[in-house]
Amino acid sequence: MDIVPAGLSASPPPALPPAGARPGPRPADEARARLRAAPETLHPGLWLGHQLGRSAERAEPTGFAELDAQLPGGGWPRRGLTELLLPHPGVGEIRLLAGCLAATQARGRLVMLFDPPAPLSAWALAQLGLEVEQLLVIDTRAQGAGEAGRAPGHDPAAGRRESDPAGRLWALEQALASGHVGAVLAWLPPRLRADRLRRLQLAAAQAHDGPAFVLRELDAARRPSPAPLRLALRPGGPDVLSLQLLKRRGPPLESPLTLELPPVLSPIALQRAQAGRVAPAPVLHAATFVNLA
Amino acid sequence: MLWIALHLPALSLEAFAATLPATLTAGANAATAPLALMDARALVAVNAAARAFGLQPGMKRATALGLVPQLVLGPVDAARDAAALDAVVHAALAFTPQVSCQGGSAPDAPPDTVLLEVQASLRCFGGPGRQLPLLLRRLQATLAPLGHRLQVVSAPTPLGAALLARVQHGLHCADGPALQRALDAAPVWLLGPGREHWDALQGMGLRTLGELRRLPRAGLARRFGDGLLDEIDRAYGQRPDPRVPVVLPAAFDSRLELFARADTTEQVLRGAEVLLARLVAWLDAQHALVRRCTLQMQHESRWRRDTRTPEATALEIALAEPSRDAMHLRVLLRERLASLPLPAPTIELRLQAHDIARQAAPNGELFPSAASEREGLVRLIERLQARLGPARVRRLQRLSDHRPERAGATRPVADPAPSPASTAGAPAAPLPVRPVWMLWPPEPLHERLARPLLDGRPLQLLSGPERIESGWWDGALAERDYFIAQATDGALVWIYRARLPPAESDAEGAGWFLQGRFA
Repeated sequence: MDIVPAGLSASPPPALPPAGARPGPRPADEARARLRAAPETLHPGLWLGHQLGRSAERAEPTGFAELDAQLPGGGWPRRGLTELLLPHPGVGEIRLLAGCLAATQARGRLVMLFDPPAPLSAWALAQLGLEVEQLLVIDTRAQGAGEAGRAPGHDPAAGRRESDPAGRLWALEQALASGHVGAVLAWLPPRLRADRLRRLQLAAAQAHDGPAFVLRELDAARRPSPAPLRLALRPGGPDVLSLQLLKRRGPPLESPLTLELPPVLSPIALQRAQAGRVAPAPVLHAATFVNLA
Repeated sequence: MLWIALHLPALSLEAFAATLPATLTAGANAATAPLALMDARALVAVNAAARAFGLQPGMKRATALGLVPQLVLGPVDAARDAAALDAVVHAALAFTPQVSCQGGSAPDAPPDTVLLEVQASLRCFGGPGRQLPLLLRRLQATLAPLGHRLQVVSAPTPLGAALLARVQHGLHCADGPALQRALDAAPVWLLGPGREHWDALQGMGLRTLGELRRLPRAGLARRFGDGLLDEIDRAYGQRPDPRVPVVLPAAFDSRLELFARADTTEQVLRGAEVLLARLVAWLDAQHALVRRCTLQMQHESRWRRDTRTPEATALEIALAEPSRDAMHLRVLLRERLASLPLPAPTIELRLQAHDIARQAAPNGELFPSAASEREGLVRLIERLQARLGPARVRRLQRLSDHRPERAGATRPVADPAPSPASTAGAPAAPLPVRPVWMLWPPEPLHERLARPLLDGRPLQLLSGPERIESGWWDGALAERDYFIAQATDGALVWIYRARLPPAESDAEGAGWFLQGRFA
């Protein structure tokens, strides 16, 4: 806490000293004392190591109070990538983001989805409160296959582009750099190099006014990433998401958060699920018993 | 009356340079590449770089090539010059409807000067005193993309302005006496009839128009004919000089013959940019926006009687939002060309605009607003469509069908919205909850002890069954019992058991299937 940048401590105090204050070294001492007390009050870009980071941009509320409390700025960051790492699609990632996406749509802005890993059910998205007609799905994969189907000759350029991840990320980068898209949700190709991600992060930081989520495989947690916020999502039970903060502007959080997602199950089914969590053991016992007999 | 004369001293050379590949004229080469135009056997025009090497118009081809082996020689082409001049005329038509062309001083010289009558347009350009400079600046900015060197003179008479523009640049004659003073000092060879009598006039010691005008008129008429006097009178404003205004063609169709074969799209694009600049000038003249245009690339056959190479490739550019923004059109064209395989080298380009929208251009905005964001979005989507193909940018759509695989669809954004009948909104009763990820085709699941397995682990059924029986009328019969199940890691999945006996359900199969994942 004693480490105060020399430039800051030497600068004159922002407020005038009181009228009765003695001239001399007193104001500088006061400023130093104030800095020691609360440097984070000086500028929104300044915070201490044990505090959560803040920024001048207001964040998008996530809709989960316990998550908001742990995120810098109190929500999903704007002007920056948010990385979500999942073991497989279908752990509750859309239900986690639906509140933020619906709020973006309610402001009349467009939401773009890049390369979803499976067909999306329009009815399910509508049930989550999203406006289906205002979602744009962009498929950058399998470019060679589509064009070869139409044109009789083989087009070498299309094949080259398909194997090139930079070509696939072109569309995403354009969307982020245009600054006209409200929110972006992109499933990135596996084993992506960090410099490609850095390009995306730069495009998002410079122009994109809104949250940008990139979804990647869980293995990517071991590799560095320029995204300022990284979360690992795992299913934590029926309608429960276990969320681990891998990286944030602030102190690390060791224990994963457990979020209650908007329920899919009816209360009765939920009870059955909770009862069933103990149930498998007797079934196995019975099976071993039968085998021994 | 106030006329602006735009004289293009190097029109033919610049029109020729536009057809050259980029390697010859781009960047540092632009100023240093020696170019020359050639008539049957002698040079007609040379550019500054060629002149620096000592080339002169009138030299023989062999002499010129002996002096400068790297000289780029092109043929004179009146049609090419006319097309380039047309673009200047179209750009000028955006400022005034009174635009006409003026030829050179030789009797059969092609036009190389554009005349604009701007008296009526002046009041659109700010307060008194700064109107004309403002208009001239705007005019030159509009003409800049066409890439011509200009000599601009404004004067009260069209012929006076045209004559002075041949020798001066930036002169403004506000009234008759000023014009008279300027013309009196101008050389006598500017006059058309003066050129054929040039030797005689020089022999008489006449060098300027002022000296010529001081001679008795009757004597001049007897000696040199009426034409000389007539032209002097029109230039000085002593005789009416009616001009026929140029009428804008109803459709845009412009060609560009490339000097060298274009093998790559980059080379094609360079030529196409010239045509796009002409298109934008034509659109500007009538305050219209283009909605659809076609770029046709004429190919050169690779060998004689080559029947497999198509004669031309047409590339159609359709815009979601009509536009006349040259930059936007160029980006679209670049993306489309990059994904287009060219069967053979291109030797000629042709740009046609079929579909234009006559409407005012949208207002520019200083701060981002909803309208500008919408326009930016439309352009972003157009760019994505141009690069990825229109079928890859899609919108989700809800359909009223109970079979989950038919309840949703995607359609390209470019397609018009479906009729309300096909999207009959929500069904009468609210649907039970549906998973976000809808796998199709469904993934068959193994079964052990009557329980379905996912990745070798048993699934726990939590909710269901929800029975769906539908589709007997369209051959895709589905009789299924759907359950929500929990995988061992806690994720919820949507599985079903096919109810049809295996014999009847060849397409469906029997047993358990995974169809969805709740995300």
